[in-house]
Amino acid sequence: MPSPVTAENRLNRRLGVDAFLLLMRVVMSAFVVLGLLMFIGQQINPDNFVASRINPDATGLTAAQFEGLVISGLSQGAMYGLIALGYSMVYGVLGFINFAHGEVFMVGAMTGMITSNKLDESGAWESNFLLSLLFVLVIAIICSTLTAIIMERVAYRPLRGSPRLIPLITSIGVSFFIQNVSVVLLGPGAKSYPTLPDWLSKKRELFGFVTIEGTRLMVLVVAAISMVALWYLVERTKIGKAMRAVAEDKEIASLMGINVNRTIVTTFAVGGAMAGIAGILWGLLFRSVVHTTGFLPGIKAFSAAVVGGIGNMGGAMAGGITLGSAESVAPLILLEPWGIDGVSQLKDAVAFLVLIFVLLVKPTGLFGERLSTEDRA
Amino acid sequence: MSGANGTAPLLEMRGVNTHYGAVHILKDVEFSIYPGELVCLLGGNASGKSTTLKTLLGMVVPTTGDVLLNGEIVTDESISYRVERGVTMVPENRRLFKRLSVKDNLELGAFLRSDRSAIDADLERIFEMFPRVKERLSQKAGTLSGGEQQMVAMGRALMSDPKVLLMDEPSMGLAPALVQTNFELIEQIHSQGVAIFVVEQNANMALSIADRGWVLQTGRVVLDDTAEALLANPHLRASYLGET
Amino acid sequence: MGRIRKLLLLLAALALFAVACGDDDETTVGADMADDSSDDMDDDADDSSDDMDDDSEMMDHLGDGSLGVVEVESGEAIQIRSLNTITGDVAFLGLPNQRGVELAVEHYGAIHGFDVTSGEGLDDTCSADGGQAAAQTIVADDRVVGVIGTSCSGAAAAAAPLVTSAGMVMISPSNTSPALTSDLAGTAGENYSVGYYRTAHNDLYQGAAMAQFVYGDLGLATAAAIHDGDPYTQGLAQAFADAYEALGGTVTGFTAVHKDDADMVPVLTEVAAHTPEALFFPIFQPAGDHIAAQAPGVAGLENTVLLAADGLLVDSYLELSQTAGMYFSGPDVRYGDNTNQSTGRTADDFLADYNNLYGVAPEAPFWAHSYDATTLLLEAIEAASFTDGDTLVVDRQGVRDYLNSVSGYSGLIGSISCDDFGDCGAQRITVIHHEDPDDLAASKANVVFEYAPS
Repeated sequence: MPSPVTAENRLNRRLGVDAFLLLMRVVMSAFVVLGLLMFIGQQINPDNFVASRINPDATGLTAAQFEGLVISGLSQGAMYGLIALGYSMVYGVLGFINFAHGEVFMVGAMTGMITSNKLDESGAWESNFLLSLLFVLVIAIICSTLTAIIMERVAYRPLRGSPRLIPLITSIGVSFFIQNVSVVLLGPGAKSYPTLPDWLSKKRELFGFVTIEGTRLMVLVVAAISMVALWYLVERTKIGKAMRAVAEDKEIASLMGINVNRTIVTTFAVGGAMAGIAGILWGLLFRSVVHTTGFLPGIKAFSAAVVGGIGNMGGAMAGGITLGSAESVAPLILLEPWGIDGVSQLKDAVAFLVLIFVLLVKPTGLFGERLSTEDRA
Repeated sequence: MSGANGTAPLLEMRGVNTHYGAVHILKDVEFSIYPGELVCLLGGNASGKSTTLKTLLGMVVPTTGDVLLNGEIVTDESISYRVERGVTMVPENRRLFKRLSVKDNLELGAFLRSDRSAIDADLERIFEMFPRVKERLSQKAGTLSGGEQQMVAMGRALMSDPKVLLMDEPSMGLAPALVQTNFELIEQIHSQGVAIFVVEQNANMALSIADRGWVLQTGRVVLDDTAEALLANPHLRASYLGET
Repeated sequence: MGRIRKLLLLLAALALFAVACGDDDETTVGADMADDSSDDMDDDADDSSDDMDDDSEMMDHLGDGSLGVVEVESGEAIQIRSLNTITGDVAFLGLPNQRGVELAVEHYGAIHGFDVTSGEGLDDTCSADGGQAAAQTIVADDRVVGVIGTSCSGAAAAAAPLVTSAGMVMISPSNTSPALTSDLAGTAGENYSVGYYRTAHNDLYQGAAMAQFVYGDLGLATAAAIHDGDPYTQGLAQAFADAYEALGGTVTGFTAVHKDDADMVPVLTEVAAHTPEALFFPIFQPAGDHIAAQAPGVAGLENTVLLAADGLLVDSYLELSQTAGMYFSGPDVRYGDNTNQSTGRTADDFLADYNNLYGVAPEAPFWAHSYDATTLLLEAIEAASFTDGDTLVVDRQGVRDYLNSVSGYSGLIGSISCDDFGDCGAQRITVIHHEDPDDLAASKANVVFEYAPS
């Protein structure tokens, strides 16, 4: 006979869940703190008594290596952040996850590859690099923006008003479609970007103590500029105001005279442009692109958007940086001292653990606002 | 038809029928609102009041009949087309953009206007009318009290510089003390020359400030008279004013 | 009447084709027969089938029937299959393999008057799942005698047990994982199946070659290896590490990357902690692109020598500027005048036909292994079959008997002999030094180390 659902029963169950969550938080925090302590110990003396027991191969990291990790994490994170903005904005406005957004990023990287190689053939890439780069950037932004707009028009607008699961599943289909179009048009192999000029890619000193590869510096700078531009667009312009209004209440927004459809398209377009910029940065940094390039960064960026609090743009960028840095630095700092072999393979696992950890501690994400039940319906 | 003031009607419905699917909502509804008037539409639940407002604004397109704004047929025009030409609405339950600042809410009201100095002048006018709104300008709208939200909602509507303001159940969900203030605010706006069309269940309150009124019953206009006449109408008193 | 005439003409033309191709090593005879046939086509068609009846007495074929037989009705074709990676990132490897099969079938011609078809090319997707799914499709058709494939070792581990337990044979042109055959010391690998053969080399040889080169020729005493979890890459990295340590070198790191990762700084930093003098990463594109590009920028790896294997020995990789200066191990592709004894073709003949037919040059080097694997299979079928009236009977055990005894067969890749665990490759490994990304031909010819098992 099932036990009757009494208030006491329910309370007990809730206490059980709370206790479990608390335990999880404590265990994860302890793991992180202990790992960090052991890492510090290892840095001070690689042969200390803990390390010699748990991780006898310990050597510690040199300052240059640590710096390299942090910079790589930041630049990776900046790109995640740029892509995450698109997930977050579309979620804010339409309330569903556009899983094909990673492909918009891939389209940006692909377009950049085609354009830059054409410029390289004509010699312009070498003779007039900055102008070429600008041209490549503009073309890539146009293409990824168009991809996002067409995606909205063809795949999502007809589904407006249907349950959220339907556009979500559709977006997975769109994702496969775009990947396969890319295979048909450009073939399945990896394609590379032309070489960057030495003055850009060489390592340079910054503020006297940071050594950073020029390309990574460019990634950080361009990402920061894009973010500020986007912040200005959303917070300070009429279009941005319309986007925020549509995100909150489409009916009333239309009552204000806002063209809701056009605003939604604008949102897709802006998200697409950000993904296009990220695509170009990715291409310039890693100089290689395949049709599956969008998949992993897409998933990571989505996680970043959730970590930062989905629907919140500053959060998306912060989430991206957090996730990128964590997956770059955490394996060697938090896991290696435990004596785990080949910790770098756990990079992706770490990224998703960060997601779980953040959600355990703050279910709405770092900067997320608690959604009322009405908003979530 | 001649108006109360002897001028042409501002907003007009001619033989409007609307359907939601097979359900016939409005049945041959006809009425006119003249510049500067304060008129009210009374009716019980499901009488078609909300649909009337939505039809006037273009959120619902009538199956037959026409909506006219300043004598122009706007039946098939978009909401923004109509808002630009002087009609707007304070929605039921205020529906502010809660996550946006009070200032953003007000400026969104002026979304279709581009004359910055005129907009700023209107903002000042609203601050004069509602000094409390000015104090809360940078606060998120969702953090305001019910009464303050009502002010912002009205201010937001006024920011589009309307000739006629539609109000959907303005006293709904407000504490009784606030209802009185609320109607005072409505009169205040009216006194500035804006025509107001109030849809209300609180017939007593509405008729006490209105010039004219209609009563809607199952989608049909059953009474159309001056406010005093309606207040005196025994039939209406019986069914809406709670008197036996 | 007209229809019958057309049919006869067609038959005659087919027979002519078969004669012309099948008996290539006796060219004069073939030419004579072709002359004859132009006089009287009907006669010639009869002649050739008569010939075959005479040739194939029950006694003359290999095999004891223990694995059953395949009966091919008159007018039907002998069924073999190509199972290669023809989509995805590794299609550069599988497409030339599949085309090698197609060309070999065409060059070889008919067997006892029966045409051979490789059917629609199947895809192993370079994964265990893909290999298994395709293998199930293959074994569902009991007319199939043998399979040329898979392209990837990971796919073979799943496909080989299914295919071989159905009595078919499987000959891979490009599987190199030691697990699929043996450790070369008499112990079968964990994924070995009886009935599995390969013309590709065993990676124990490639690993040993690379280790000897790094330790002996380059004189580097510390090295690290990176794989991507795929059986091919893991097997080869392990083979290298084992051989290197056996020689006296120190392996300072052995780790893996994720195939789809682009940011290699973390994994390289992990490796850099012990500052190895050499870094061997026998993986694929695009992960290989990123390692080569990012390694010099990681503190501790600035002067490390970068080495890779045949998985990256492709034009699209060599064209990258960051690969300049790298070393690559791979099968010895200097095929020269090697002649396939079944078809009489050389590598140059093959490449000319390949270019005519497909309009491109093959991207990866295993087309020759695929071609030889196919002619070996066809020879085996020829040796294990006989005609019974209008029917051709192929003895499945006979096919294996033939392959087990292959010794000194002359193929495009050189002399082919099969050991007890299906390793039939020429096992000749070379290391090239890639100096100029703008002149790939020069790099490929720049052999700095040669290896052949002693």
